[in-house]
Amino acid sequence: MTPATHARGTSLKVLLFAGIVALLFSCAIARPCDAYDLADKVTEFTLENGLKVLIVERHTGPTVALYISHPTGAIDDKAGCTGTAHFLEHLRFKGTETIGTRNFGEEKQILRKIYETGDALDRELIKGDEADKEKIRELRKHLETLQAEAEKWSIPGEIDRLYTEHGGGALNAFTGQDITTYHVSLPSNKVELWARIESDRLANPVFREFYTERNVIIEERRQRVASDPGGKLREQFLAAAFTAHPYRRPILGWPSDMRYLDFDCMSHFFTTHYTPDNTIITVVGDISPEGAMEIIRRYFGPLPRRPAPLRRVTEEPPQTGERRVTVTFDAAPRLIIGYHKPTLPSFDDCVFDVIDTILSEGRTSRLFKVLVKEKGIAADVRTANGYPGARYPNLFVIFAQPVSPHTTAELENTIYEELDRLKREPVEAKELEKAKNQLKADLLRGMSTNSGLAGMLSYYETVAGDWRYISKFLDLLEKVTPQDVMKAAQKYLTRDNRTVATLVKDE
Amino acid sequence: MGDPDDIVYPPLSFEPPKAQRVALENGIILYLLEDHVLPLVTLSAVVRAGSFYDPAGKEGLAELTGTVMRTGGTRSMTGDHVDETLDYIAADLTVSVGTESCTLSLSVLEENLEKGLEIFSEILMNPVFAEEKVALAKSLEMEALRRIRDNPQQAAFREFRRLVYRGDPRGRLSTIESIEKVGRDDMLRFHRRFFHPSNTMIAVSGDIQSRELVVKIRSFLGGWGGPGKAQEAPPPPTPAEASLDYFYKDTPQSVILMGYHAPGKKNPDFYPFEVLDFIIGSGGFRSRVFGEVRNRLGLAYSAGSFYSFRTSYGIFGTYAMVNAPSTLEALSAVAGILDEIKSTGVKPEELAWAKESIINNFIFSFATPDRIVTEQVMLEYGGLPDNFLTTYKNNIEKVNLADIRDVASRYLSEENRVVLVLGDRKRFDTSLSTFGDFHVTEKDGR
Repeated sequence: MTPATHARGTSLKVLLFAGIVALLFSCAIARPCDAYDLADKVTEFTLENGLKVLIVERHTGPTVALYISHPTGAIDDKAGCTGTAHFLEHLRFKGTETIGTRNFGEEKQILRKIYETGDALDRELIKGDEADKEKIRELRKHLETLQAEAEKWSIPGEIDRLYTEHGGGALNAFTGQDITTYHVSLPSNKVELWARIESDRLANPVFREFYTERNVIIEERRQRVASDPGGKLREQFLAAAFTAHPYRRPILGWPSDMRYLDFDCMSHFFTTHYTPDNTIITVVGDISPEGAMEIIRRYFGPLPRRPAPLRRVTEEPPQTGERRVTVTFDAAPRLIIGYHKPTLPSFDDCVFDVIDTILSEGRTSRLFKVLVKEKGIAADVRTANGYPGARYPNLFVIFAQPVSPHTTAELENTIYEELDRLKREPVEAKELEKAKNQLKADLLRGMSTNSGLAGMLSYYETVAGDWRYISKFLDLLEKVTPQDVMKAAQKYLTRDNRTVATLVKDE
Repeated sequence: MGDPDDIVYPPLSFEPPKAQRVALENGIILYLLEDHVLPLVTLSAVVRAGSFYDPAGKEGLAELTGTVMRTGGTRSMTGDHVDETLDYIAADLTVSVGTESCTLSLSVLEENLEKGLEIFSEILMNPVFAEEKVALAKSLEMEALRRIRDNPQQAAFREFRRLVYRGDPRGRLSTIESIEKVGRDDMLRFHRRFFHPSNTMIAVSGDIQSRELVVKIRSFLGGWGGPGKAQEAPPPPTPAEASLDYFYKDTPQSVILMGYHAPGKKNPDFYPFEVLDFIIGSGGFRSRVFGEVRNRLGLAYSAGSFYSFRTSYGIFGTYAMVNAPSTLEALSAVAGILDEIKSTGVKPEELAWAKESIINNFIFSFATPDRIVTEQVMLEYGGLPDNFLTTYKNNIEKVNLADIRDVASRYLSEENRVVLVLGDRKRFDTSLSTFGDFHVTEKDGR
């Protein structure tokens, strides 16, 4: 489960396929056995500027799913500027030099003044109690005047208007810790519209409505974290589980950073990370690969090659003792337990996909069975492998909620008993086979829509560096034995390697 | 780069595949559509039953019946055995219960279709509601109710439902006490009353051979009998008077909901109202509530409108989640948008944009075989004409400015408007009374 936040959406959607992988794809009336070979279904090419393209032709309906992913996200936020990657994702819906303006020459002058005035205002505000109140009042007023003036030149919501007017659906974007994705589904004859808009916002984005949008992301945080017990607990949990690696920071940012995110910060992040060789396009649907390729070449080919950034990411040092966090909130209790582990494409990560399935997929999974069905002490229990990102060593996580009057302590004890059982007894052959069946079927279901398949290819090409990881995963999965499960459990599911966060009701 | 509005697109020629309709001898209506891209099969049975029919004092019965049908075993298998079998073949089987319909859905690999279909049929016809599973379902449902207040949006939408449907069974919601009163016998009775072949329609799509599948379904469900068909639930009464309710929650962000009764799908007003809703708040960045409250004022991350409809009635509403000190500012901004539309209508270019968007997006109703069959079932379930989908685009195309103004003034009347504000009034910008007299639904705590 990758936490991700969206530019446009109103629902609390979560990208669910992190860690659950593999792809069986079939043609005609094929059976799964001859369906594993994806190689001849995906057309793959790289433009001279480094931009990567994956295309799958599939005629289930007259539509096409279009995904653009960049291997960047909150991990690339600079210290003091947390929330940059996510705020940038929002700003990229504000148009370009030719989309969303009546006269960019005129508009540009005012936008520059807006950034300058906003910057001066931030410099004053950041002084806190020492700030000059009168100066703040004047700058605010001046900013409002400029914003009103800018409205005369801008046409708000043009990108959104173009897509919806042409029948676009599922228009959205999400920012993760280490992947950022923009996607839309269109009637299949409208690929050129997408290419026109997307290539333009990779070349000439304009950050309109900058300061009002900054308020929108602050409101987003209020909705997802400050008013949401689950969001609040996850944030505190991650901040404790990671001490040095950037996964410890919230994607949305810390409030005191978000309040002062400025134009330079955004512009620098964009130039550094949204380069052609940091861009992966995936097209799945009712199109011909040649036709789609021609359009993509024409629009994205001219983007100038820029050197890829050197990424410096602090490694998380090994955990040497249990960490515990408590959050007090006006809500019923809940619990998160997490363990550090390696990420894909390591064999152990695949073993954890199996453990994840054995513990919590379906009504016969171990934790659900014991906590919910038999003891009746949990309202819900889930696990996730690969939290909160997948390009760096990450966590295996357990989320649980007690049924009143049972406590999180009771849940914890029962969960540890089950984890100990994994370490002590090899899983039976039939249970392992069930887990493998479930993982493969999940994968197949994920591919049943164009956007599902596009999302999967796009995700693995970005996170694992190659969409073929999907078939590699299937090979790894076949190899997993009961001994492997036991060894991984013994190695990683230890007291010293865990972080426990509990939400306690505010009485 | 050229103007994106000047791009010329190749024509889109598309003939939607047609689902095959089969009526079984015992009254079950089947819709089938083959699709051999992946070795998967999806089945959904829609049954006319739901929480509308919960007896007074036992609210939650329909929901619990659905849950325990899935978990409580059948005449031939215990619930645990059902779970084991389904998990082993990696099949997903869910029962979901709405106000006026119950849906039993199965997703299964083609190679396991026979087994999946057998369990699906047994659950539909012969659930036994084992006592221990009844107790478990009740305990979980009560815990879910205890937790509703934890999530401000959930709490607000639930309360909104109670208010917008007051005086109607749809507005009677389950409580811990009502769940407590539901027993196994109630579930057996509820199942006996509604789960009949003539009250059931089934949509099947995926890797099937239609002819063989009909034979199979007949072998599993052909012997199922039972009387009659449930009547469609009557539409809810429009609230007799306007209301403004305040619901306390210790939270930094207020949830503002404003609702009205709206036309159903059978009503000719449906088409202009759909366009109206798009312009007000479900058409993305360009729609008015989103554009104003989020993009221009920066007051919310989530703001917009929704229009949910059945055959004979609909509910329209606006929503905004805003910083508590902006509550009244946002509330009056939304009310102002609706007032303006009622008094001056919408702009011609807004109308053109909304119509074109809706018409061009319509093709997604045919994006997957599953959607095609489900749409067909829901049309017949709702008693809508066969040509509903083929005339839909044309009916949207015909909507004009006068129609929009007309439906706006008739349906968005302040006289039966339902407003709910959830939050902490101590933190509001001004008193809620500046907007109107309000009723306190949930008192301020501590």
